[in-house]
Amino acid sequence: MIEVSHLTRRFGSLLAVDDVSFTLEAGEVVGFLGPNGAGKTTAMRMLTGYLAATSAETLKVAGYDVLRDSLEVRKHIGYLPESVPLYSEMRVQEMMVFQGRLHGMSRGDLRRRVSEVLERVGVLDRSRQLVGHLSRGLRQRVGLAVALLPNPEVLILDEPTSGLDPLQRAEVRRLIRDLAGEHTVLLSSHILAEVESMSERVIILRQGRVVADGGREDLIATLGGQGHVRMEAVVGDAEAARDLLASLPGVEEVQITERVGIHDGFTLRGGGDLREDVGALAAQKGWALRELSEQRPSLESLFAALVLGEGPLEEARAAPTAAVVEPVAPQATSGKGLDLLPETPADDAPALGTVGQKDNFYSLNPFDGGGGRDLSKPVSSSDASDEGCEEEEEDEA
Amino acid sequence: MRGTLIIFRRELAGLFAAPLAWILLFVALLLNGLLFSLVLNQTQGDVTASLEFVFGGNFFFWALMLVLSPLLAMRLLTEEAASGTLEYLRTAPVSDAAVVTGKFLAGTAFMATLWSSLLIYAAALALWGVAPDWGQVVTIFLGSVLCSALFVAIGLVACSLTNIPLLGAFLAFMACLWWVLMPALGGMLLVQMRVLFADLFGSFEVAEAWIGGALERMDVRRHFGNSYFQGVLDSAEVIFFLTWISLFLFLTTRSLEARRWRG
Repeated sequence: MIEVSHLTRRFGSLLAVDDVSFTLEAGEVVGFLGPNGAGKTTAMRMLTGYLAATSAETLKVAGYDVLRDSLEVRKHIGYLPESVPLYSEMRVQEMMVFQGRLHGMSRGDLRRRVSEVLERVGVLDRSRQLVGHLSRGLRQRVGLAVALLPNPEVLILDEPTSGLDPLQRAEVRRLIRDLAGEHTVLLSSHILAEVESMSERVIILRQGRVVADGGREDLIATLGGQGHVRMEAVVGDAEAARDLLASLPGVEEVQITERVGIHDGFTLRGGGDLREDVGALAAQKGWALRELSEQRPSLESLFAALVLGEGPLEEARAAPTAAVVEPVAPQATSGKGLDLLPETPADDAPALGTVGQKDNFYSLNPFDGGGGRDLSKPVSSSDASDEGCEEEEEDEA
Repeated sequence: MRGTLIIFRRELAGLFAAPLAWILLFVALLLNGLLFSLVLNQTQGDVTASLEFVFGGNFFFWALMLVLSPLLAMRLLTEEAASGTLEYLRTAPVSDAAVVTGKFLAGTAFMATLWSSLLIYAAALALWGVAPDWGQVVTIFLGSVLCSALFVAIGLVACSLTNIPLLGAFLAFMACLWWVLMPALGGMLLVQMRVLFADLFGSFEVAEAWIGGALERMDVRRHFGNSYFQGVLDSAEVIFFLTWISLFLFLTTRSLEARRWRG
């Protein structure tokens, strides 16, 4: 329904839209997302024919070329600019009739459609009111009604929820979600949550370029790459454990992060979900797992980093989501019938934190680095924190 | 054509929906009426002379035209560009030419409403006094409308260049003023040039006659005074106005189209 390839627009030396390509199928709802000045509005204006493209290989809306058949394109789109331009001296009803006439709607058709559309956006009771007297939210809805009136195949909505209060936002979002299927909708916003709530597919623009295009998962993959698996366990010799972990299939990189008390932290990167294999290995080796979780960068943090203009998005990658701690108890995994399991008898691996643990349980491990710890006392990271403090002091000095 | 008509109707309604239009009309009609009755008294009831004085014979007539037309052009184009409704119109399925023509017609219709006071005065005179020369009244009215149409068109060109209403109105006013004063200013310049060119080339007569003639032919006041004001409806004079109006409307359309490229 919308076909764009290699679309570029310059304003003097400023490259507002830089080689943008995307396609929208009929009935799709797609959100343009990007910080202010990313080129969202410029791209939309070029689609409506309001602005000319500096260069474009294809620029087609509803099957018509925007440059050659501008009038045809305009017949098939409903465009709501960000400023919601409406004639303030006209009544809502009059504004709708004017729009209908511009689109060459017949009188009967117009009468039926006006009340239908006003009803749909919920401003039917305001149809006699002057547009200039409406509040921002109502204006927005009337603007949407005006765009919807000729029943266009394509709707282009520039920041349809900006300047609205949360309640109005929710209403507009619901309205736009309802439009999916009937119309092809291209909307823009600089707020991730807004776009996500309205559209399945998001196109992220940054400095005029398409940075990512797709659903939530695709975006995360494009923007931040894969997540990593975090493991914290009592392993004894951390170096040896690292080598063991690195030998697991699919693991590309293993890092030792930190040691808190007797627990060593590891970060594993690689393809697929590594948690099961790591859990199995831990069970086999008898490592007492304290944490085994997959850490995925959230789209929010990735996008925030993008807005701030950080290059390879390292910050966002490091930002953790709410880590889900999934202790791997051998009993649980053995039930799934994994081959690796379990050499350690279930009796020897009681659930952590249960009363009646054997005091010297860990000392059975030949690699045990923390075997001397008195288990009757809680894990005191006093040593570690002391060290931390010393380091900080040194840093300051 | 359909688009032009739709936009014309909306723009005219828009003009009269705002209080500004009514205030302008009220003030203009009040002053015009006062002036008319004053002159009518002074000339001791010379109907033709009074009508001539009020419509085209005095400074006030031209001042009104020069001030109101740019303001209308500003309201029609620059204000819309500033408020964003121009973006709405230009993404609606109507051509830029239709938008410009519709707006121009609305501005002209407004000015015609203003000048229709002439017809009212004439009708009043015919009813309670001496019948005026109706042929002259009608041609003066037509001439006034064509004159203001030209100024609205000039104003639209100036206003299409900017998005700032105040600047648009000022540019339009200066352009209209320049158009009216050009023959006089050009003549003054020619006198100065004559001396200079006589020193340099010996003679400047052919060029002077040519430039002077061209300037004279562009003189709006002369065109108005020589035909419409006299009660003569000359097709050449009609074509003069229509040609210039078409040119300026064409330029406005082009200027609007250029915005697609300028952004």
